[in-house]
Amino acid sequence: MLLAGGLFLLGDPEGFLAAMLEGGQKAAVLSLSLLSLYCVWLGFFRVLEASGLARKLTAFSAPILKRLFRSEDEEALSHAGNNLTANLLGLPGAPTPEGIAAVDRFLAEGNDFAADLLFVLGATSLQLLPTTVISLRLAAGSSAPSDIFLPTLLATAASSLLGVLFVFLARKLLRKRAVP
Amino acid sequence: MNFVAYLVPALFLSLFAYAALRRVKLYDTFLDGVKEALPLVVRIFPYLAVIFLLTALFERSGLAHMLTEALAPFFRLCGIPPEIAALVLIKPFSGSGSTAVLSDLLATYGPDSYIARCASVAYGSSETVFYLSAVYFAGKKKKLLRPVLIALCANFLGVVFGCFLCRFL
Repeated sequence: MLLAGGLFLLGDPEGFLAAMLEGGQKAAVLSLSLLSLYCVWLGFFRVLEASGLARKLTAFSAPILKRLFRSEDEEALSHAGNNLTANLLGLPGAPTPEGIAAVDRFLAEGNDFAADLLFVLGATSLQLLPTTVISLRLAAGSSAPSDIFLPTLLATAASSLLGVLFVFLARKLLRKRAVP
Repeated sequence: MNFVAYLVPALFLSLFAYAALRRVKLYDTFLDGVKEALPLVVRIFPYLAVIFLLTALFERSGLAHMLTEALAPFFRLCGIPPEIAALVLIKPFSGSGSTAVLSDLLATYGPDSYIARCASVAYGSSETVFYLSAVYFAGKKKKLLRPVLIALCANFLGVVFGCFLCRFL
């Protein structure tokens, strides 16, 4: 921020406020589109819960999720499971509300590790089919728009695995320091 | 072709049919969920706004450009074409910004060139880390440095691996 401000003072002092306003406007516009996405998906997930289907799905995945996140909080795990599924399927806007709900509950039980892990999984991209890239390539006139599917899948699997590994390593290091 | 296009209506239809069979009050339940949408957006808005202000300053001041130039040799060393350095740097900050950069690269170098393929893989295998950290941890008393650094490192290594794969696949 300071560096950027300095650069503006040297070159284009009027651009400073303009750039910040542009950023604020982008945030406002994005918030509105997020609002519409969250309306749809929060409604969807509430029906999923009320129908009892969420509990059935969780019963299926709970053993794996429990071990992965080291958590006993069924509701947090259910949200985390929904978040991961929505991420894998690449449903736009769906993972976020579930991820926030899971992180809330993980942190409430003092499980920083689980919150970090869920965030890192989301932030290293889990999407199986890179739909945005494929449609952009198609629009640019590519002869094989889905050609990048395999390298993208392998690269994103590698980054997610590395992320999980780093989170586990960080936990181990912190434990060692805590118990000298 | 577009798998998600079929997936979303199919998901909604099957869930609503199942819920109706289980005698869930569909209208009331869906409405209850929607009620949470506005508070959620209000809660994350300040964090989003700050991230976007800083991103705009970073890009508009020329800082992003300078950093790209400075890091180009390092990127080359890692096997990432320096042409896509800007994309790799912008992606953690801004989804729409990186989409624009990717479109540019596809148009400039042709969508089937090595550079454009690397750019596609780099875009598809990483996420908007800073934006996500702002949203997931909005209002939490928590040290963010560790998870953010981990995510950035993992994404960068993923891009290095992806560019390497693009030479063969």
